Amino acid sequence: MSRLDIRPYSCPLTWVKTRIALERLAPGERLEVLLPEGEPLENVPRTAEEEGHLVVSRAPAAAEGPGCWTVVLEKGTPRDAAF
Amino acid sequence: MALSEAEIARYARQLLLPGLGEMGQERLRAARVKVWGAGPLAGPALLYLAEAGVGAVIVDDPGVVGPADRAGWLHGPSDEGKPRLDLALEAVDAANHFVYAEPEGRGPGPTAALICLESPEQARAAARIAFEARLPHVVAEVDGEGGSVTVVPVGGPCFECSYRPGGDRPGQAAGYAAASSLAALELVLLLACLTPEPRGRRLDLLRGHPAARATVRQPGCGCTVGRAP
Ligand SMILES: [Zn+2]
Repeated sequence: MSRLDIRPYSCPLTWVKTRIALERLAPGERLEVLLPEGEPLENVPRTAEEEGHLVVSRAPAAAEGPGCWTVVLEKGTPRDAAF
Repeated sequence: MALSEAEIARYARQLLLPGLGEMGQERLRAARVKVWGAGPLAGPALLYLAEAGVGAVIVDDPGVVGPADRAGWLHGPSDEGKPRLDLALEAVDAANHFVYAEPEGRGPGPTAALICLESPEQARAAARIAFEARLPHVVAEVDGEGGSVTVVPVGGPCFECSYRPGGDRPGQAAGYAAASSLAALELVLLLACLTPEPRGRRLDLLRGHPAARATVRQPGCGCTVGRAP
């Protein structure tokens, strides 16, 4: 499973990095995202769901440091452009 | 080649547009856009193309800044008499240092064209050249506070097929800005492969509202066989 650490980034780059990582996967493949609690933990999984991906799990990842979480996303089928 | 960290940060908000993504941004970066004109009809388009992150903007303009250029975005009163080409290249470079700002002939040839010439006759001539060169192109025209934008993908009906002599109202600042930025947006969509089908279309700006319709090949137009009329 691919792994992405977005702890160094702030909004909107947290989601931009996640979205690009998902873009590089095939539908059904999974991505493990390391992120801090707070705004990224609230927004990244929610935006992923809004764009048609599946949130498989979310869990604290204490071994990675205090306040760190692991969210596993499964890539959905891409949506058409809105233009 | 994948986008660099710096490019992802630079284009973060554009990368969020539905359907664009990394691949669309890479397509934009691969494009070398020739812009005909550096006057009031070209100014907003030049800045838009730079901000959007096309690979290179190649500017072709022989003029110097005159009083009419004050209706545009690039020039102030202190610029009068300066070459418009130089000021356009400076503006593109200042907007985004990832983009090559080039006069014609410096680098490889263009892969697409944007025609922003105030004179309809010059615009038609440039569109014929772009068509012959098999460059996807977009033509901006101004008419008072409105104007029109014609999108000519490779293989689509040529500009002449939908050309109508416009009203003879002189261009106004609002018309230049609207037609120019809409033309740049249409080219960005075309280059990023986000254009709705059919891809050859004409947008008329009527009292501020764009009305789009597909362009059709006129019977007897030479562009049927891939040649400019
Ligand atoms: Zn034609």
